[in-house]
Amino acid sequence: MNSIAVTILLLPFAGAAAAYLFGKWHKGLAFWTAEIVGIILFALTLYLYAGSTAAIDIDATWFTFGTISLPFGIYIDGLSIVMLLIATGLGMLDIHFAHDYMADDPDQARYYAKVLFFIGGMLLLVSAKEMTGLFVGWEFMGLASYLLIAFWYRKPAPADAGVAAFLYTRFGDIFLFAAIGLLFYFTRTLDLERLNAMAAAGAIDKDAAYVIALFIFAAAIGKSGQFPLFPWLMRAMEGPTTVSALIHGATMVNSGIYIVARLFDFYTAAGALIVVAGFAALSAVIGATGALVQREMKKVLAYSTMSHLSLAFLGLGAGSLAAGMTHLVNHAVFKALLFLGAGAVILAAHHTKDMFRLGGLGRTMPLVAFFMGMGALSLSGIPPFSGFYSKDAVLASTIIQSQTHGMIAVLGVIAGLLSIVYIGRLWMFIFAGAPRDRALFDSVRSPSKFWTILPLGIMALVTLILGFFQAPLSHYLTGQPVTEHHIEGLLPFLLSTLALLALLVYFFYGRRPDLTAKAAAQPLMKSLHQVLFNGYYIEAMITWFSKNIIIGAVAATAEWIDRRVIDGAVNGSVRAAQAAFALFSHTHGGKTGGYTGAMIAGAAVILLLFLIAGGVR
Amino acid sequence: MSAFAILLTAALLGFGIRNLRWLKGFAFAAILTAAFFALASPPISGYTADTLSAFFGRLMLLTLAAVILGETERINIVQTLFIGAAGFLLLQSTTLLAFVLAFETLSILSFILVARMQNASQAEGAVKLFIAGAVATGLIMLGLALFTLSGHPLNAPLNAPLGVLESIGLWVMLAGLFYKLTIVPMHGWAADSYALVRPAHAAILSGIAKTVVVVALFRLFDAWLIVSPLSINILLALAIATMTLGNFMALFQQRLGRILAYSSIAHAGYMLLAIAAVKSAYAPAGLLYLAVAYLFMQTALFLLLDRLGNGLSDLDLNDIKGLASRDRFAAFYLSVQLFSLAGIPLLAGFLGKAVALFAVVDAGYWPAALIALLNSALSVGYYAWIVKQLYFDDAKAKTRLTALTAAPAFAQLILLAGTLYFGIAAFSIFAVAF
Amino acid sequence: MNPLYLVFGPILLSLIAYISPQGWGKYIALALFGFLMKSSITLYTLLPAHGYLMLGRYLRIDPLGFTLSLQVDQLSVVMLLLTALLLLLVALSSWSVAKNSNAYFALLILFAGPIFGVFMSTNLLWFFIFWELTLIPMFFLIGFWGAERRIYAAMKFFLYTHFASMLILLAFFLIRQQSGVFDMTLVRESMLATPTLIWWLLFIGFAVKMPLFPFHTWLPDAHVQAPAPVSVLLAGVLLKMGAYAMIRMGILMLPESAERFAVILLVIGLITLFYAALMALYETHLKKMVAYSSISHMGLVAVGIATLSASGLSAALFEMIGHALIISPLFLIAGFLHHRTGSWQMKEMSGLMQRAPYLSALFMLAGLAALGLPGTMGFIGELTILLSAIDAYGVVMALVAIGSILSAGYLIRSFRKVLHGECSPLLAQSDLRPDAALLATLVIFAALIVFFGLWPGPLFDLINPVFNGGAL
Repeated sequence: MNSIAVTILLLPFAGAAAAYLFGKWHKGLAFWTAEIVGIILFALTLYLYAGSTAAIDIDATWFTFGTISLPFGIYIDGLSIVMLLIATGLGMLDIHFAHDYMADDPDQARYYAKVLFFIGGMLLLVSAKEMTGLFVGWEFMGLASYLLIAFWYRKPAPADAGVAAFLYTRFGDIFLFAAIGLLFYFTRTLDLERLNAMAAAGAIDKDAAYVIALFIFAAAIGKSGQFPLFPWLMRAMEGPTTVSALIHGATMVNSGIYIVARLFDFYTAAGALIVVAGFAALSAVIGATGALVQREMKKVLAYSTMSHLSLAFLGLGAGSLAAGMTHLVNHAVFKALLFLGAGAVILAAHHTKDMFRLGGLGRTMPLVAFFMGMGALSLSGIPPFSGFYSKDAVLASTIIQSQTHGMIAVLGVIAGLLSIVYIGRLWMFIFAGAPRDRALFDSVRSPSKFWTILPLGIMALVTLILGFFQAPLSHYLTGQPVTEHHIEGLLPFLLSTLALLALLVYFFYGRRPDLTAKAAAQPLMKSLHQVLFNGYYIEAMITWFSKNIIIGAVAATAEWIDRRVIDGAVNGSVRAAQAAFALFSHTHGGKTGGYTGAMIAGAAVILLLFLIAGGVR
Repeated sequence: MSAFAILLTAALLGFGIRNLRWLKGFAFAAILTAAFFALASPPISGYTADTLSAFFGRLMLLTLAAVILGETERINIVQTLFIGAAGFLLLQSTTLLAFVLAFETLSILSFILVARMQNASQAEGAVKLFIAGAVATGLIMLGLALFTLSGHPLNAPLNAPLGVLESIGLWVMLAGLFYKLTIVPMHGWAADSYALVRPAHAAILSGIAKTVVVVALFRLFDAWLIVSPLSINILLALAIATMTLGNFMALFQQRLGRILAYSSIAHAGYMLLAIAAVKSAYAPAGLLYLAVAYLFMQTALFLLLDRLGNGLSDLDLNDIKGLASRDRFAAFYLSVQLFSLAGIPLLAGFLGKAVALFAVVDAGYWPAALIALLNSALSVGYYAWIVKQLYFDDAKAKTRLTALTAAPAFAQLILLAGTLYFGIAAFSIFAVAF
Repeated sequence: MNPLYLVFGPILLSLIAYISPQGWGKYIALALFGFLMKSSITLYTLLPAHGYLMLGRYLRIDPLGFTLSLQVDQLSVVMLLLTALLLLLVALSSWSVAKNSNAYFALLILFAGPIFGVFMSTNLLWFFIFWELTLIPMFFLIGFWGAERRIYAAMKFFLYTHFASMLILLAFFLIRQQSGVFDMTLVRESMLATPTLIWWLLFIGFAVKMPLFPFHTWLPDAHVQAPAPVSVLLAGVLLKMGAYAMIRMGILMLPESAERFAVILLVIGLITLFYAALMALYETHLKKMVAYSSISHMGLVAVGIATLSASGLSAALFEMIGHALIISPLFLIAGFLHHRTGSWQMKEMSGLMQRAPYLSALFMLAGLAALGLPGTMGFIGELTILLSAIDAYGVVMALVAIGSILSAGYLIRSFRKVLHGECSPLLAQSDLRPDAALLATLVIFAALIVFFGLWPGPLFDLINPVFNGGAL
């Protein structure tokens, strides 16, 4: 098993190199290399899953510096295997889907190499035994994300989006980086499982653990697109849709939740879960409300990703590892489905991402509409789709937990309910009603069955089937049963509200979009719309701060000081020397009389000094 | 057979040799013989040869040979021999009287040397040298008179404890001597004279005569300075003032002669500092090293200027622009010697300064050493600026420079060898002076 | 093998290279640097487990203790290996120098002798001699082959660092006065008084070379104006000399003062780290940005040194090597771009990725390494320094992590401006095909960065004995 695990970790990187080299040799080979590598990876992971009895645990020393040794081990338990399955399974489907989606791109070699590199990073992250390995995987993914968002680097928007993605996540990462140092300082170990054990045993100073937990959470916020570091996620939608599906919908953004789940005992002992829950609730609402008003379908999905990741965080924050993690898994599947479905639409509609220009596509691409509908239902939390079970578990555990019982639970429920509104709106805009842009509608290409529909179908199936396997999944993931808190009236309340909302959506977006437009034209609604549309202006604030405060004030001041004061002193010394030179020059006019006088006077002064000092011996 | 006698005889005989090449050959033979007999004392009381005087005397002869090698006028060769003779005498002096006699001889020979002028500015330089020299002689005589008043014999070594009057006398005398050393405030003439007289003459005045005086002075006075602790502070103050003023004045000059003149003043400051460090056992080595280094580099620079400017003394920075592209060897000699003056290692100038300043630190005056070091760093400003003209600037189409012929180039090689050799071989200095 | 060949051989050889037939200089240089590399490896194999390997004493002047004693230990050999490697790569990357190439390579050769002397000499005065001697070739290389303001930069570089050297020289004199020895291996035992003044003089002297705030302003000018390979020498060798001296003398030779003043080094290091990063963030000038990045990393090295622990010093040494390998390709590419486009401004050369994809990829790799991305040497350096700094000074040192976001800021921004975006008119009309030698150099740099970033073990095997062997 160990050798399989190591193979799984190394294969993507080898595959990336191979895909690039083969792709340079012959364009089509890049895809096939990636496809084969993807299938092998998934098969190997399945094999690992099937054969796993105990966790795989490989110890290895990375390097020793001075007296400190840094380890780089592999640790694969149930949690890791599920994450591996998500990454390799969705990765495989995503690569498959990209065959058509990226067909016209001249840079396929680069694309598939980066995707495989990303998968490698993700696998590394979830199989790492220590913080070091985890951080390496974490940053590899960050790099891959940056490179893939800016894949179409010629255009300014993707290039800028890449910068944003890197810097926002990197900002979070420095906390993780610092946390590694702090962890080592306080515990002398970076082993994740040992940290859990130590924290549970109370062997770590609680305040230190609390701070470290928050630091790690800051990185999780960055990576998982939570408040306030989420704007990069929306801008990441500039990248290819296949990338958005894999990285910014299904896998990488999960890593923040993964790390909190991985250190769940640590978080529990540190008492930091409530902070997680608080941020999660806030982010959930921001994401859900933001998704309500977007025009670009990918942005809707991005906000919805944010919101659903928040729900997973919320589950963790409420103390239910099972709820959080099952929601993560379910979300990964249906979000990948939705993103790829959107990708299918975008591809068919000649790279039109604006929902307002689509409509009625259900008639030309019924299968896509159907599968996306399944994804939408799962996302909205309609039984029997998997999304229902986990969302319900999250909300229930939030309500039951005394710490999260109040405001946090309310926010969570609102966010959970709103999901049907925005996803319904998305679906309606794309597939229902009359086409808004006739020319575009007529030119829509029908998607390929094998390359496009098949992956969608598989994922739709999975999101349906998963619903029936929530208990084993949860048990496998966490060793705990799914939280089944039977709260009086919660289920009926949720379901009836959902139904009501579904009707409203159907009415406002499907039947009478004119009414919606009218309402949106109200001044109050308009400003509200603006706020939501711009993601509560968080990005504007952060940009303003970094541009005007960090660069415009702090860096500019430093620059001024450097130029005027520090280097000014250096250059000023030349002027000072010049002044001294001029001063001395006055006394050297070339007059012999003056010199002679100076000589005699000088001799007199020397003599005088000697006498005043009193001097013999 | 002493070196002095040989050189004096050769100089007198040299008047009779009309052919320049013959005269040169004769002079070299004389110099070689004199070098051979450098350890022999002349049969005059008050003059004793020792290893120090022989060592420095031989090096002086080497530089004189280099001067003669590049020289084109017969009379200058003869005078160079005279100066060599007087230099030997000065180096070997062990009493006050002997010293003053030799010193005055050297001064008068210097006047005669620069009296061979070609234009008005050289005349101005000569006159300034003369007037300043006259004042200095007056001071020396006054000091000597005061010293005599005390009844201390003039022809005895200065190692016995001295009374007030002797001390005052010696101080007045030193004030006069500082004129030759161009110590502030007795430096004014030097800045003009060195820059105005013919560079070959300046080479002898500033490169050779000055170092000879400084070595002889230290040889004679160090015993007195050790027992006269108060005098050290005055020396330190003068040294610092001298080097600081010299360096600052050199910074923004345009004319090469003037830069070298002020640099010469600055170096006098370093040498005086080494004298002030007399308490340290390393002071003699330091001073000797400085003098040796200075002997080679300053002589080389002025000689090179003389040949490049064909005896004219008003070359400025513009004239040597881009010299490296025209004559890379001349530029190379020039920059090596300049770097040596600047105190760049593996050149004599660095080790000279290093040993001397270590002596200063060893004697306990580290702040003075710090000031000297900073001064030295400052001096890089103008030395490197000259180098910049040589290498980094483009050559002008028209130039006043003449090409370096074989003989002066060979002279430069000799002096370069000295600078390089003493940049590494510190042991030869320590063998003599420690 | 006579060690004098390593020290004085290049100085003599430079003269030969200078007067050799046009075009031979580069081959002589390459052969010499190869020989130096081979000799360094030989020295490594000869090293004893602890302490110094005596190579010889020359030019003895016993009264002064001024003797050219050539000894190497682990630390010096690591530096020698790095230097030899960089010299080779610099020679390679200078292959296409056209202007007066013999003189250029003669100066490179001239630089090699003293730099080896610095790392091999244990006599303080000889150390200083070699230390100073490195300035001369640098002065000419910057002043003659540099860019527009080369003369200002060369003069500033020469004067500034020379002033600093004077402080070092005074410190050496004071050490000799107080301890009676000029040999750095003996100073520790012989020093009587607590040398506050000496430490400060040394600290400032070395801080200028490293450079640390506020003594850094010579560096951006020198780096920007110097031809790109010379920038590599500056960053990779000359700056390392400062850090080496800081370790060797500021820490190992004067352990008591080091303990007293380590906090100062630490604070200055941190200030340098952040300050230079902010400067880089503000900069629009490509090479200047790289130069400030270089300063910022040296601040990190200073932090590592200030920990005074075996781990911290090993980390600092690793970061020194990493910095040399990382910043060099950045300088080479920035210099190349200026050479081909005539511009320094990042905004004028957008879209490089389209014109020169491999060059861009290498630039990005080096940039990512500079911002400390895992998988590169930059990360290992930052991580190890962070761990050891927190170990030594407690949780406050988590601040070091902030450097990473600042460096990410300026580097990612430079990728956006230079590599990405639409091809600018300036780039469109420039010939951007790099010559093979340059590309090969860059690839070697990149390979080393990644190799030691993934497997730092071999390098740490080399480094660890330096400080684990009881040198502290």
